[in-house]
Amino acid sequence: MMFIFSCLTLGATAQDRYVIQGQVLAGDSTALSGATVVLWPDQDAVLTDEQGRFSFGVRYEGTYRLDVTHVGHRPLAFPLLLAQQDTSVLLLLEPRQQQLNEITVTGQSGPVDNLIKAKNAAMPVAVITRREIELMGSRRLDEVMKEQTGVAIVNDIAGGSRAVGVQVQGFSSDYVMVLIDGQPLMGRNSGNFDLSRISVTNIERIEIIKGASSCLYGSDALGGAINIITRHGTIAPQAHASLMYGSLNIVDGTLEAEAPFHHQRGSVVASANYYRTDGYNTNAGYMSAGTTVPPYSNHSMQGRVRYRIRKNGTFGLTARYARRQSTMVNVWPGGWVSNDHQSDRDFNGSLSYDHRFAGGMRSMSRYYFTQYHNRVRATWINAGNLVGAEAFGQQVHRLEQQFTQTLAGRVQLTGGLGASIERMADQSLTGVKPLSTVFGFLQAEWSPLSRLHATLGMRYDHTSVYKGKPSPSLGLQYALSSAFTVKGGIGAGFKAPDYKMRYQLFYNPTANYVVVGTDKVYGVLQTMDEAGELSYKNSYMVGLTASNLRAENSLSSHLGFGWKAAKHVRLEALAFYHHIRNQINTVAIANGTTVGQVFTYRNLPRAVNWGGELSAGWQLTPSLELSAGYQYLISKDLAVIDSIRAGKFPYNQLLNDPATGQSRPVSPGSYWGIEGRSRHMANFRLHYEYRPWQLNLTVRANIRGRYPFQEINGNQFIDIYDAFVPVHTLFNVTVEKKLLADRLSLRAVADNIGNFTHMYMPGQPGRVILGGINYRWFKN
Amino acid sequence: MILHKNTLLLPLLATLLLMASCGKDDDARPSLEDGKSTVIYDLPGDTEASMGDGAEGKTKRPFHIFLFRLRDQRQIWIKTRADSLQWLPHGEWDLAFTGPYNSEVFVNNALDEFNPGYGGGARHSAVVLCKQSYESLDEAPADEVFDASEVGKIGWAYSEHAPGWFRYSLDTHIMQALPNRTYAIRLPDGKYAKLQLINAYQGNPPAVTNMNWPAPYFTFRYFVQEDGSKHLNTR
Repeated sequence: MMFIFSCLTLGATAQDRYVIQGQVLAGDSTALSGATVVLWPDQDAVLTDEQGRFSFGVRYEGTYRLDVTHVGHRPLAFPLLLAQQDTSVLLLLEPRQQQLNEITVTGQSGPVDNLIKAKNAAMPVAVITRREIELMGSRRLDEVMKEQTGVAIVNDIAGGSRAVGVQVQGFSSDYVMVLIDGQPLMGRNSGNFDLSRISVTNIERIEIIKGASSCLYGSDALGGAINIITRHGTIAPQAHASLMYGSLNIVDGTLEAEAPFHHQRGSVVASANYYRTDGYNTNAGYMSAGTTVPPYSNHSMQGRVRYRIRKNGTFGLTARYARRQSTMVNVWPGGWVSNDHQSDRDFNGSLSYDHRFAGGMRSMSRYYFTQYHNRVRATWINAGNLVGAEAFGQQVHRLEQQFTQTLAGRVQLTGGLGASIERMADQSLTGVKPLSTVFGFLQAEWSPLSRLHATLGMRYDHTSVYKGKPSPSLGLQYALSSAFTVKGGIGAGFKAPDYKMRYQLFYNPTANYVVVGTDKVYGVLQTMDEAGELSYKNSYMVGLTASNLRAENSLSSHLGFGWKAAKHVRLEALAFYHHIRNQINTVAIANGTTVGQVFTYRNLPRAVNWGGELSAGWQLTPSLELSAGYQYLISKDLAVIDSIRAGKFPYNQLLNDPATGQSRPVSPGSYWGIEGRSRHMANFRLHYEYRPWQLNLTVRANIRGRYPFQEINGNQFIDIYDAFVPVHTLFNVTVEKKLLADRLSLRAVADNIGNFTHMYMPGQPGRVILGGINYRWFKN
Repeated sequence: MILHKNTLLLPLLATLLLMASCGKDDDARPSLEDGKSTVIYDLPGDTEASMGDGAEGKTKRPFHIFLFRLRDQRQIWIKTRADSLQWLPHGEWDLAFTGPYNSEVFVNNALDEFNPGYGGGARHSAVVLCKQSYESLDEAPADEVFDASEVGKIGWAYSEHAPGWFRYSLDTHIMQALPNRTYAIRLPDGKYAKLQLINAYQGNPPAVTNMNWPAPYFTFRYFVQEDGSKHLNTR
């Protein structure tokens, strides 16, 4: 609720011709001090004083927007048309009732081409805003993500030296869907989605859903989702250019322009980004030269056009194209030099039509097309032979109809229907059929009591290959008092087996074994049998696996509270439990006479991730803010515990302490957990703003507890004598200074100041120091 | 307010500094040298065959076998028919590194038809797998145990009963030496010895961080009791 209080003519400074000023009040008409008010498009931000007052000096008349946020209140976006006079406004903020674990909420505005809300997943949601990304000084999406509570970026050695993925609450990258404006991004390396592919330029905000969210997005959102919301709409023509340069010859250049057209009925946003890096070597102890972090260059272009064809109908068009080239050289003693070249291309395009009906119903019709192509070729230069080569392409067409409707003021419904068709072209797979999916979903938000808020969701996916899959979710939150809210939720997720698991026929000549996709098991075994090359077949296991792979599925639940402990202190805590069933793994099914062993894929019983998350924020003074996050995590494959109990080889081998040479028997307690997961992770942030100098300082410390890198003693599970990455802290600092009435900003970024690197963290570069300049133009 | 800030910030900073200062050298492995054993570091196998997956237009040739003589650490390559005829039938070598990545090791033996030394001069040699650490193997087993042993190829330990020295990970495609696998050997010349195969990757890294880490480069250690007794204590 808000209204313009009065229009007065006030004196303005010589530089600024007009003043926009106002007062922010809570619902009970008390003044709200310390509320953040951001003036768009100038991106001028101030905090309200003791009386809740704020003021901006502006130079031009035109359309502006005020984004007001305050802990404990719902954010407010207030459009403002500034005529040729000073303006004063009174803004009322409503108390926040239904934010589900939103860890940071500043200056958000809803996406324009997607009606599905992240909070409807009934899972904890973390939101990262554009301003936070700016203050971090990050360039690529992986850098932003690894500073979030419960999120880690890990290398997957099994996927090759380029396989880097994101881990969320213990779920590996395979289980975390990555979307752009609510549409899935393609292109994974052994299940790993490399987030460094994506520039953070042009991102409005990022939503991280922690836990099963298939009820929103279907297959692949088994363990969570990262939704990137790109910039949209504009109220005044503007352009901006930025350039950063520093360590590792990193260059990050961006050009961006946006403008309304046809009397504000349409808007266009376009941006282009160039990024390059030399890469970094974390393995200098064994590798004499070259890098373990790949050097690469990336070009990307992105654009959006929106046009309101009638009062209640808007067309939207978005397009994104990104291209990456990378040549990684590894030089080993003995003259071994490998040269690994990768090139990939990514196109995403969507069309949408947003229509508001008279009865309050809103409809969104969307079509999406994406194509990803990747080619890798690695050679040993000295020997002139091939290390490996692969190429694959992936293509998706997707059509979706969404709607929202509020019923009797109490229930808000979001629903939809859609279909998609996915094609895969991979030289190592044969007989691949397109995968078509039809889906429908319905989510309801309901407040049966004033203190109780419920979200209910159900999605049903039907694919051409697998049986239908329902994904329900339920979230509840109850306000015990205005300061204390209890919240909980439960949701289901699934992931259909990928193409490799179904169609692969992989022969490893050096170790002499074959891995066969489950759809091809019968055929391959029959051929081997006919040729007299089959010496033994485990018929029971063949029957269990062949053409019989089920989707992996999960059930996520969490329970926690949000507490506004004092006026400037907020605290959130939650416990989570994720149960994953039918995880897919390799299994031996036969022995050949010439081929050693034949493997395929099977579903394994279960795995669990459980733990807790804490987050706290403290606004010490209007210009100093501290925040902290912590995650405790236990992530275990229960099949390992079963195998240890059953005394199966190789799990049953004595544990040998390499330091003392002593050995002892194994027990289920010897199992540490799954690779790449830290038990403890924490982050601390300090943000200080010195307004007289227009200076912003952020200091962050990201701590990761020790985590297993690799199983090295041959018993096939992680115990304390395996290879671990030690506990470490990465310190990052960003300083930003604004000049020339916010048009010019200078930025200095120092990442990993302590220069911590480790051979078991091949993707983490050492200290990086960058300087940057950013300039913004406004149309007069 | 200032007081509040300090009470929170100081322990916080102290914790952070403590965490940052944690050591990063976590290679817990003690030195392989015990003063008595011979330690061989990075003995190159047939890297030419292994380090290329059949470039286009070329057929991938099988790995060349090499032999190793414990007494003078001599590596002998078997690349031609002439090499085979000259070396294989003689008792003048102790170990043969065969198969993919030279990872399958044989002790010269004339009676085992799969042994490179089949039909040659090493008629009394034998190997016994002792599931204990190298340091703790103080005494070679009794001759009856050697006589009864059926250990032939020492390679991939794919099952409980395979006498192999490594496990192969299907995920990472990396060979990992198994602990507590020490091979007591009755050599062709009748002396007793013990052998531990440690690594097949260049530089003997504790863990391999790259699937294309140069291999095979063997790190292993052994001790030959020159006095003919069964005492193999190297501590």
